[in-house]
Formats: sequence, structure tokens, C-alpha cells
Amino acid sequence: MHMANELLSLPVATGTLAIAVASLGFVCRKVRQIIASDKVALMGVLGAFIFAAQMVNIQLPAMPGTSGHMVGAVLLAIILGPHAGAIVISSVVIIQCLIFQDGGLLALGCNIINMALVPSYLGYFLYKTATTGQAGSLRAYLGTMFACVLAIEAGAFLVPVQAALSGVLVVPFSTFLITMLGVHFLVGLIEGVITVAVIAYLQQVRPDVVPDSLPGKVRLSRKAVITTLAVFALAIGAGLSLLASDLPDGLEWSYAERPDQTDFETAVSNESPAVVAVDDFQSKYSPLPDYSLRSSAIGKIGEEEPGVSAGWTSFAGVVGSALTMAVIWLAAQILRKKQPQRA
Amino acid sequence: MHHAHIDKFAYQDSLIHRLDCRIKFMVLLVFTAVVISLPRTSPGILTCYAIGPFTILVWAKIPLRFVFKHILLVSPFVVVLALSCPLYDKTPVTVAFGPIIWQSSLGWMRCFTILAKFIVTMSALIALVSTTRFNDLLTGLQRLGVPKLLTVQLGFLYRYIFVLIDRTHRMLRARAGRKLRNLGFKAELKIAAAMLGSLLVRSIDNAEHTNIAMQARGFDGNWRTISKLQIHRADYVFATAAAFFLLVLHFFVKPVVL
Repeated sequence: MHMANELLSLPVATGTLAIAVASLGFVCRKVRQIIASDKVALMGVLGAFIFAAQMVNIQLPAMPGTSGHMVGAVLLAIILGPHAGAIVISSVVIIQCLIFQDGGLLALGCNIINMALVPSYLGYFLYKTATTGQAGSLRAYLGTMFACVLAIEAGAFLVPVQAALSGVLVVPFSTFLITMLGVHFLVGLIEGVITVAVIAYLQQVRPDVVPDSLPGKVRLSRKAVITTLAVFALAIGAGLSLLASDLPDGLEWSYAERPDQTDFETAVSNESPAVVAVDDFQSKYSPLPDYSLRSSAIGKIGEEEPGVSAGWTSFAGVVGSALTMAVIWLAAQILRKKQPQRA
Repeated sequence: MHHAHIDKFAYQDSLIHRLDCRIKFMVLLVFTAVVISLPRTSPGILTCYAIGPFTILVWAKIPLRFVFKHILLVSPFVVVLALSCPLYDKTPVTVAFGPIIWQSSLGWMRCFTILAKFIVTMSALIALVSTTRFNDLLTGLQRLGVPKLLTVQLGFLYRYIFVLIDRTHRMLRARAGRKLRNLGFKAELKIAAAMLGSLLVRSIDNAEHTNIAMQARGFDGNWRTISKLQIHRADYVFATAAAFFLLVLHFFVKPVVL
């Protein structure tokens, strides 16, 4: 599920972007050690394969009219190994952002983490732990299934966490989480079934392709994976517990006056001019909402505008912007009509 | 096949198209960051910010219908989440917009802000992508420090997406032509797995052929392009104009007003 710019706050977006960039850089270094330049073409074409594979849809049982398709992260991690798989899926996510505009530019960090890094590594790790080598057995298939469901669920779990840390949405965290996990349980099941079916097909047709036989052996040390998971869990836990204490929910707005709608009636009236001014200042001058210097607000008390004129200024702003765009458009039309005559 | 023409406007020519892609990319990054850090409950101010991408799109002769169609295509997830805001935040507010004054809730304000931000940042992203050739963008990204392995990977991916998508379209058409009804989940799954499996095997074989051809021509992991990036005077003018635009909006258009 592609995260959008608008559902993230700036600190969360830049933070996740930094994490994603750092880990991608690390993975690239790692992959260059493992893979020779002759596998570059293979990785590129398999990325394109993921795109194409997402178009092959199958009709779902019990839900007529709906159809599902595969995501492919776990399949690729199984075939290419986790590092190369993570790079390929990340490049797919980047192309989806840049060419197809799925998910925003600043949300790219979140999307890379949720849909590429986490599913590839977690999926590969679970697959390896559950199957212990021999491909083609029932155990291997069940293990693949399990890996797919959990890998997708882990990615889906991070979406509400990031949204909640940003505080843009007012949907309660638990509702969002349950919805995402529920929907992605189905997605994961479909993914698992298709992945197993494709691997079974490959086993019959091209047994040399299946389980990471392609580019040199990759080893994920169990200790490293468990440590990473623990750090991740701690970080998320810490973030969420911080959040529980100062989540900007509806309450925040009910005790203070809304600065952008000046004639909004306060539910719990707090008429102290200092409080009003602080909130006023906060939304007026803060580059990052919720993070502003409160001390310098005191001097600004006198600058409040009466409600009616605020309405008119907003009207002027919107109409003015619309007019500007109309003028630009008309000018472009006129200039464009003139050009062919000259030529 | 609508995919095949998704960045067709990148091959036009205009002043915007000729700008250096690194400058355009950085401007887009800053613009997006500024827009998403705007207050969450004042949709009005975003019309002022919309002037920026709008000017660039019009100047670069990108049809606005194409832009809106594209934004609509990628919007469902955001629209669902934005529409859920009014359900949870029912704090009443009085909205004064010029002569009209009406009662609404804060949730609706949030909803419209999210949607407006979505439209503004998406049109800015489309403005970058449809005025920059992807290969130039990759060269620029590599100069900005993106690992070479990743840019080469992206270049390959871009080269082969449309090939494989066309191939898949043919397979899907063949399936639709032979299978005239729903065959039940098991049969459907078997067909899909065979399609995906053969697609995968063909991709791997393709990659092998490409690799042999590239090795024969001396590919050593470096991507050599003839696109030479140079920052001209126009680029400085563009960057200054963009900075001026954002600064003016930041200091003269206050969220409290809107």
C-alpha cells in the first residue's frame, strides 16, 4: 500500500527517508561484493518482471468480482537472495514513484522500508527458517506461505505506525491498524498462494532457477536478523508510547481557539490572551506545526485580526490565486497561438 | 496500452525541459517538504502554492487534462483516508470564506487540506517527470550521490518495463480469448502460476541474452551516457525564482489568514 506525502509529517518523512537511503547504500555495497557485473541485467529485467507480474490478476473465490495479484517481494528474495531482492524491489518502488506517481517523493523512504526492505529481508529469513533447505516438500510450501503472509503484514503494520507518528490523520491508531492488518492478511494469503504456485511450476519446468541458486550464496546470520528486529521493535514501541502521551487528537483543538477560523466557538473556553496568542503564533509562523518557539510569541498579542476580515482575506487569497493561474493559462494560450504563425 | 505513453511529454522541448534535472529535482524536494509542513487544517492557502506547479506545467505545455487524469488514477488510498477524517474529528468550526459563512467540522478542513496537498505535490511531481527524460534524471541522481548500482538498476528496469508489460498484455489477451468463464479458483491459480512462471523464465533467458550482448560490447558495470549535465544561467534563474516564490509565500501568505 503506497504511503502518500500528505499523510506524513516532515520529521517522519525525512527520518524514514534517511533510514531508507542509509540502508540502501549499505545493501548496494553488500551486493557489489556478492554479485558480478554480469548479474546487473538479470536484476534489471527481474524488476521489470515484477511490474508485469502485478498485472496478471486472478479471480478470488468467495468474493465474486474481486481479483488479486502478486506483489513479488518474497518470490524475488527467494530467487535472488535478500540483498539483491531488496535492491530490485526498491528500484520498483522508486520507478512507481517517479514514473507512475504512486506515492509521493518524500514518502519514498516509508515506501521503500514498508514494501521493499522489510518484506525482502523478513520474508527471506522466515522462508529460510521454516523450510530448512529441501525445496518442493509440503513443509517448504507451507513455509513460503507463512513467510509471505508475515512479510506483507509487517510492511502493512508500519503504515499506520508512520501515519500515527505523523499525526496528520485523526483516524484512531487501533482502527487503522486493524483495517490495514485485516486487508493485508488477505493480500498476504493471495501472495503466498501465488508464490507457492509459481515456485511449484518452476520446480517442474526449470528446477535450476529455484531457491537462491542464481547469484552466489547469501547468508543472513540469525543473530543479526534477531538483533535488527529487536532494535526495530524497541524503536517502534518507544515512538508509539511517546505518541500516546502527546498525540494531537481532537482534544488539542477543543481547548484552544482555532487560529485559522477566528470565529470558531471554543468548547472549553480559555480566554487568556496569552494562550490564544501562542496558538495563533504557532500556526502562523511555525515551519513545522507543533514545533515552535513559544517564548517569542508574547510580543505578538496585539496582531490578531477580527473574524470577518479573516474570511475576506482568505477569499481574496483563493480568488487571487485562481485569477493568477487563469492569467498564466490565457497568456500561454495566446503565446502558443502566435508561435506557429511566426514559424 | 496507457502505460507505454506515461512520460511521453518528457520528450518535448521547452525552456523548462532544458533546465538541469538536478536543480529541478532539488526544487521539487524543497517544494514538497514545504507543502507537507503547512498547517493541517487550512486548505485555502494551498491554492497559492498551486501557482508554482501550475505555471511550470503550463509553460512546459503539459496538457492539464493529462495531469488531472493521472492524479485521479493514483488517488484512491489518499481519498479513502482523507474522507475518514470527518468521521472522527467532529469539532464544529465556522468557516468564513468571503461573503459566505457556513458551519462545518474540523475533520472536513483536514480532509480538504490532505486532498489539496495531494493535488499540489502530485502535480509538482508530474511537472518534474514530464519535463525530464528519465535517463537524464538518472545521470543527475548519480551525480547527486545515489549509488551507481541503483541507478544502473533503475535504468535497466525502465528500459524493460514496457517490453514486459506489452508481453503480459498479449498473454492476458490470450487468456481472455481462451477462457470464457470463471473456471474456479484452482484452475485459475494454475493458469496464473503458469503465466507468471513462463514470464519469469522468459525474463531470465532475456536477461541472459542481454548480458551476453553487453559483455561482448565491453560492459564493466559502468553506465555511459551522452547526456552531459551543465548548470547554465537559466538554471540559476529558475532556482532563484523558485526560492523567491517559496519565500514570498512563507512570509506574506499566512495560514491564519486563510
